[in-house]
Amino acid sequence: MKRIIFQTTIFILITGVSFLLILCQADGYSDAFYLKFTTKPQTNLILGTSRAAQGLQPLIFDAILKKEAPFFNYAFTLAQSPFGAVYLNSIQKKLDTTKTKATFIVTVDPWTICSETKNPNDSTNFREVELALANTENVNVKPNLGYLYHNYGGKYHQILFPINSKMYLHEEGWLEMNLRTDTATIRQRTLKKIKDYRYNVLPKYKFSSLRLQYLIKTIQYLNKYGEVFLVRIPVSEKMMEIENELMSDFDFKIKEAILLSKDYLDLTKENSSFTYTDGNHLYKKSGAVVSEKIANWVKSK
Amino acid sequence: MLFNSIDFALFLPIMFAVYWGIAQKGLRLQNFLIVIASYFFYGWWDWRFLSLIFFSTVVDYLIGLKLGKESVPFRRKMYLWLSLFVNLGFLGFFKYYNFFLDNFVAAFSFCGLNIQASSLEVILPVGISFYTFQTLSYTIDIYKRNLEPSKDFIAFAAFVSFFPQLVAGPIERATKLLPQFYTPRKFDKNLAVDGLRQILWGFFKKVVIADSCAQTANLIFNNSGDYSGSTLVLGAILFTFQIYGDFSGYSDIAIGTARLFGFKLMRNFAFPYFSRDIAEFWRRWHISLSTWFRDYLYIPLGGSRGGTGMKVRNTFIIFLVSGFWHGANWTYIIWGLLNAIYFLPLLLTNNNRNHIEIVAKGSFLPSLRDAFAMLTTFVLTVFAWIFFRADSVGHAFSYIAGICSSSIFSFPQVHPITTLIVLFFFLIIEWIGREGNHALEKIGLKWNRPGRLCFYYVLALVVLLFSGQRQEFIYFQF
Repeated sequence: MKRIIFQTTIFILITGVSFLLILCQADGYSDAFYLKFTTKPQTNLILGTSRAAQGLQPLIFDAILKKEAPFFNYAFTLAQSPFGAVYLNSIQKKLDTTKTKATFIVTVDPWTICSETKNPNDSTNFREVELALANTENVNVKPNLGYLYHNYGGKYHQILFPINSKMYLHEEGWLEMNLRTDTATIRQRTLKKIKDYRYNVLPKYKFSSLRLQYLIKTIQYLNKYGEVFLVRIPVSEKMMEIENELMSDFDFKIKEAILLSKDYLDLTKENSSFTYTDGNHLYKKSGAVVSEKIANWVKSK
Repeated sequence: MLFNSIDFALFLPIMFAVYWGIAQKGLRLQNFLIVIASYFFYGWWDWRFLSLIFFSTVVDYLIGLKLGKESVPFRRKMYLWLSLFVNLGFLGFFKYYNFFLDNFVAAFSFCGLNIQASSLEVILPVGISFYTFQTLSYTIDIYKRNLEPSKDFIAFAAFVSFFPQLVAGPIERATKLLPQFYTPRKFDKNLAVDGLRQILWGFFKKVVIADSCAQTANLIFNNSGDYSGSTLVLGAILFTFQIYGDFSGYSDIAIGTARLFGFKLMRNFAFPYFSRDIAEFWRRWHISLSTWFRDYLYIPLGGSRGGTGMKVRNTFIIFLVSGFWHGANWTYIIWGLLNAIYFLPLLLTNNNRNHIEIVAKGSFLPSLRDAFAMLTTFVLTVFAWIFFRADSVGHAFSYIAGICSSSIFSFPQVHPITTLIVLFFFLIIEWIGREGNHALEKIGLKWNRPGRLCFYYVLALVVLLFSGQRQEFIYFQF
C-alpha cells in the first residue's frame, strides 16, 4: 500500500506543479481583473468602475505628473466596485500605507452611489459581497492562486489559449479594449447598452445613502495618505439623459464628498467631444485625451 | 460535498489514510468510521437532512429485524407496507408534494372549481431518491426472504449512508452491498489502482465533457427562441453528452472511490451511446435504476409472463415511473413515455434482446449495419433528451418546432470548437475502451510504464485545465 500511496502522491505532485506553472502564465489576456491583484501595494491610485478601468490610462498620468511612484488603475466594474465596504476594504489592502504624498483619482457617477437591492441600504445583499473583491483576501501576490481559484471566470485552459483577445489588461491596471470602431458597430453597441440601462438597470437602481457614506469614508481614508481628486468621466449624451433621470441633483448629493476632496472635475459638460465604444465607456483614444485633461488639471492644483 | 471540489480532494486522502490505518483494529471501527465520514460528507451540503437519513436507517433496521422474526404473512406484509409508507412518504413529501398539489388545483379549476391551496417551499434533500430506493431494496429483499436482516446497526447504517454512492448512486442492492460490510476488507492493490483510473476517467467525463457541453447547451436551451434549427440540434446533442458525462462521470468517481476502500459497487453505465437499439440502451444506461425497477416493479407486476396486453402495460408503467422518479415535472413523464414508445415495437416483435453482446466486439470498426443502428438509436435518444432538459412541456415543443424549420439547413450560430474537439477525443477513447468496465480499464495496460503514465498525466492535466467554473452534478436534483 505504501508504494501505491507514494506513487500516487508523486503523480499528483507532478500534475499539480505542472498546473501551477500553467496558472503562473496568466496575464493581461487571461482575465479583466487578475493583474490588478498581482502587484505589490500601490501608492497613486485611480479608482472607480469600468468607466475608469477602461478610460483612464496610468502611463499618461505618470508622464504628466511625474510622481515618484507610478499610477495604478484599481477600478473594476459597477457590479464589483461601487462605493461600499467591499471596495473600501480592498483599497485598504492595495494601498501602500508607508507613503503619504499620494494622488488619488476617484471617479464618481450616480450609479456608484446607488443600489439595485430592494432596500438600497441593505449591505448584506449588495451584489459585490459575493464577487471578486470580496472573495480575494490577498490583493498583492503573484501568482494569485486565491483569486484564480475563487474568481477566475472561465476554464483554466483559457490562460494558455485566451478566447477574448479584444481585451488586454495592462500591468498598470488599465483595461484596453480593442473593439471595432466603425460607426455602424458603435451605433449598434450603443443602442444595446442604452436599451439595457434604460429598461433593465434604471428601474432597479435607487440612491443609497449608505453607499454615499462609503464614498465619504473612502475619501477620508485616502486623505490620510495624500490628495483626493474627484472626477466625473464623460459619457454619451443618451447615457447622460438616463443618469439625469436617475439623479438630477448628483453634484448636490455628493457635496460633502466634494468638500472633503482637493477638488472636483465634472467632464460631462464635454460629453460630445469624445467617442465611446458603447455610449458608456470611452474609446481608448478619447480615454487618452480625458486622462491627459485630468492629469493636467491635477497638476494645476 | 461535491466530488469536483477542493473539499473532497482533502477529505478523500484523509479518510483513506485513517480508514486503512485502523484496519487492524477491527471491522466495526472501520464501519463506524464510514458512517461518521458519510454523515460528514452529506452534512457538508446540508446537515439538517442528516436526521432524515438517520430516521430512515433506524426505521428500516427495526422493520428488518421484525420481518426476520415474524412468520405471520399478514403481519409481515404490514411491516413491509410500513417501510414503504415511511420511505416513499418522505420521498413523496419532499419531491412530489407541490407537483400533485399544483396539478390537483389545475384539474379542479379546469372543472370550474376554484380551490385555494398554497405550495410549500420545500428543499429537496440531495440524493433522497437514491438512498430511499436502496433502503427499500433491503426491506423488500428481507420480505421476500432473499436476505437475512442485519443485526449489526453500524454495518447497516454504513450500508445506507456509504458516502461514495449516497447522493447519486449507483443504487445498490442490499443483497450485494450489505454483506461487504460484514467481511473484513483487505487492501487490494489492483482494485485500488483500477479505482484510481476510474476516478480519473470520471473526472474527465464530468469536468471536461459535461461541464464544457453544459455551457453551450444551457445557452441554447435557455434562449432557444433566438436560435436556428441547426443550433437547436447542436444544443440537444451537447445536452445528450452533458447528461452522460455528468451522471456516468459521477458513477465512475463513486465506484472508483468505493474501490479505494475495498468495496465493489455495481456498474451503472456501459457505453450506452454505442447501443444499437433502445432496449440495449436501457440495459446500458443507469443500470442500477433500470434493474431496480425490473426486480421490484416489473417482475412483481407480472413482467413478460402474461399476454401482450400485460407486457405493454408493464412496460409503460416502468418507463413512466422511471420518468417520474427523475422529477416532479411532466417533461420527465413524457421522456419516460417516449422511451416506452421506442421500446414497444422491439418488445412486441421479440427483438428486445437482439443486442446483448458489446458492439463490434474484438474489431476496431463497427459494421455499416451496426453503425447505422447506433446512429438511429442515438438520434432517438437525443430527441427524447429534449423533453428531459426542457423547462416545461411547452418549451420542449417550441424547441422541437424550432428544429423543424428551414433554418435547420443553416450553419449553427454558436461554434463551441474546443468542446467539439474534446468530444471527438472522448468518443475515440470510449470506443476503444468499450469492452472494459470503464474506458480506462484496459487502455494502455499493454503500453510501457512511462507511456501509460504520460497518458494519465495528460488526462489529469486536461481535467485541471478544464476546471474553473464548478457545476453541480445534474443528478443531485433527483
